[in-house]
Amino acid sequence: MRLLVVEDDPDLNRQLVTALGDAGYAVDSASDGEEGHFLGDTEPYDAVILDLGLPVMDGVSVLEAWRREGRTMPVLILTARDRWSDKVAGFDAGADDYVAKPFHMEEVLARVRALLRRASGNASSELSCGDLVVDTSSARVTVAGNAIKLTSLEFRLLSYMMHHKGKVISRTELVEHLYDQDFDRDSNTIEVFVGRVRKKLGIDVLKTVRGLGYCLSEPDEQA
Amino acid sequence: MNRRNSLAFRLIAAAAVVSIVLLLAAGLLLSSLFTAAVERSLDARLQAVMDGLLASVELDGGKPKMDKALADTRFEIPLNGWYWQITPLGDAEDKQLASTSLLDERLPLGQFDVPDRADGARMAGYMRDKSGNNLRAIEQRFSLFGSKQLYSFLVTGNFDELEAEVSAFNNALIAVLSLLGVGVVAAIFFQVRFGLRPLSALQGELTQIREGKQDRISGTYPVEIQTVTDELNLLLESNTEIIERARTQVGNLAHALKTPLSVLTNEAGIHGGALGRKVTEQAGIMRDQVSMYLDRARRAARAHTIGSVSDPNDVVKALVRTLERIHIEQGIKVDTSYAAQVRFRGERQDLEEMVGNLLDNAFKWNAGKISATVRPARAPIDNRISWLEIVVEDNGPGLPDGGAEIAMQRGKRLDETKPGSGLGLNIVFETASMYGGRLSLGRSELGGLQAVLTLPAVGSAG
Repeated sequence: MRLLVVEDDPDLNRQLVTALGDAGYAVDSASDGEEGHFLGDTEPYDAVILDLGLPVMDGVSVLEAWRREGRTMPVLILTARDRWSDKVAGFDAGADDYVAKPFHMEEVLARVRALLRRASGNASSELSCGDLVVDTSSARVTVAGNAIKLTSLEFRLLSYMMHHKGKVISRTELVEHLYDQDFDRDSNTIEVFVGRVRKKLGIDVLKTVRGLGYCLSEPDEQA
Repeated sequence: MNRRNSLAFRLIAAAAVVSIVLLLAAGLLLSSLFTAAVERSLDARLQAVMDGLLASVELDGGKPKMDKALADTRFEIPLNGWYWQITPLGDAEDKQLASTSLLDERLPLGQFDVPDRADGARMAGYMRDKSGNNLRAIEQRFSLFGSKQLYSFLVTGNFDELEAEVSAFNNALIAVLSLLGVGVVAAIFFQVRFGLRPLSALQGELTQIREGKQDRISGTYPVEIQTVTDELNLLLESNTEIIERARTQVGNLAHALKTPLSVLTNEAGIHGGALGRKVTEQAGIMRDQVSMYLDRARRAARAHTIGSVSDPNDVVKALVRTLERIHIEQGIKVDTSYAAQVRFRGERQDLEEMVGNLLDNAFKWNAGKISATVRPARAPIDNRISWLEIVVEDNGPGLPDGGAEIAMQRGKRLDETKPGSGLGLNIVFETASMYGGRLSLGRSELGGLQAVLTLPAVGSAG
């Protein structure tokens, strides 16, 4: 899961990036509205954390521009202006949720999880596929009740596949959603990660669709 | 309003007093001029009699004697007030000669200060005869041909007979002047009303502004008032501007304080330890203080805005739309009903804060059903103006008995397990009070809480 943080306060920006990174997300950040708008418009983020009071281009304008350009990723707005008129303006511009400043980091993490879950059509924070269960709020992975230890990048890969269960995901798409902007991308490393995850899970849920990419689905009965 | 402390009253009263005094003075002057004219014409007639007397009298052995009677027969009717009398001055008082009308009576001399010379100097004045007639008398002194003796010639006319004429004139004068007075006062009244009409038009416009039906004075007025209306318009504009500026600065302050507070809280959370806990605790207190005082400042900044009007239907629609998205996981469709003509007499942002908090509560507590209704008040607070009601209901647990007062206090929460600062209902309560409105909490037919917000509406009572 790859996220974008647009926040002009350097300290808060750093805290958000660190906390989200620690929670297992790939995170890009921008410190003004124009940069934020450009990144959101060109990179495929799974969710955006957007401050409304931004220099150069304010948050509501950024959000409106994205929605006008057909960008539908879930957006969580951060605002110090917590009057109802500000909330109405934010939601009417296309926000999916908001957190009022000052906030506790846990609240932002919980909202982001809920947004990602909602975007993939899951009602609970527990995603499951056969015996495999991924709890996105605690980052726990179990197969038939046994806990599986994954590295951060492995968890990110599995979590993305779980959020898009049953869909064919190309390697390029995986690369775009697993790594942040500054990472030296090499789609061949994806194969290595997929292999490691398969090995750790020990069940056949991550399937290769030849020539297209990967697909996560219930273990094949016949296989 | 005290009618006696009005411009119209002052103008009418002052003009009425002045014109009544002037009319009274004119009446007195005319009356005395007329009396003088009557007097003069009587004097002229008496003078004619005097001349006739002088022509007809001759001396008969020192005693005056008429050689022919006077033509005027009035001097022959006894004691009618028309008399003449010729009196030799000095010792020969018995040689008096008088008109037959005097019978044996004689008029006293020495009433007038007639010079003791025979130059015919005339003196005039009033006297009374024995029967009480008011006499107009003229007296002259002559020495007759053939004698050195001085004779007093006295001729009188009955002035009472002329009094009737004078009083008839006075009556007519009073009638005419009274009529004139009434006419003048009526004319002043209409003039004042006409002259002050722009003021009542201005008053009407100000009422419209206060009710929010217009935001500036737009009519054209006489030059004297136009300067005032121009100034008023500038005042209205600067009022709006000041409030706008205050609001913007409060917002900026909020933004400026809240971001560092977030940073502090999160940094302290990461580092933990005693210092971290202390910082977290103090930052929490600062956050509550900041939001409380910002909230107060915001409300104070707009407490006295005049003339704003907002559409409660729009506000409820926007908030329902937003809250349904915020709580999208509840999947609730709020049952709304609107009243198209109803308008709130106040700031849109205040209405949003009140209705937003009520709806937010309903979303927090409901068990699947929420309704929001805008309607003209069923229980208006008074009959001076009209009121509207916004009713928010849910089917949650509602309030326990006696919970309503606690719920509206600052920072009080009936259930500590639900998120919130406990400021919500208190803000609604305080903001409603600021507008003279009311928040009443009760049990809804849906089963949960029913919050009825009664607020002033635009329009007259009805």
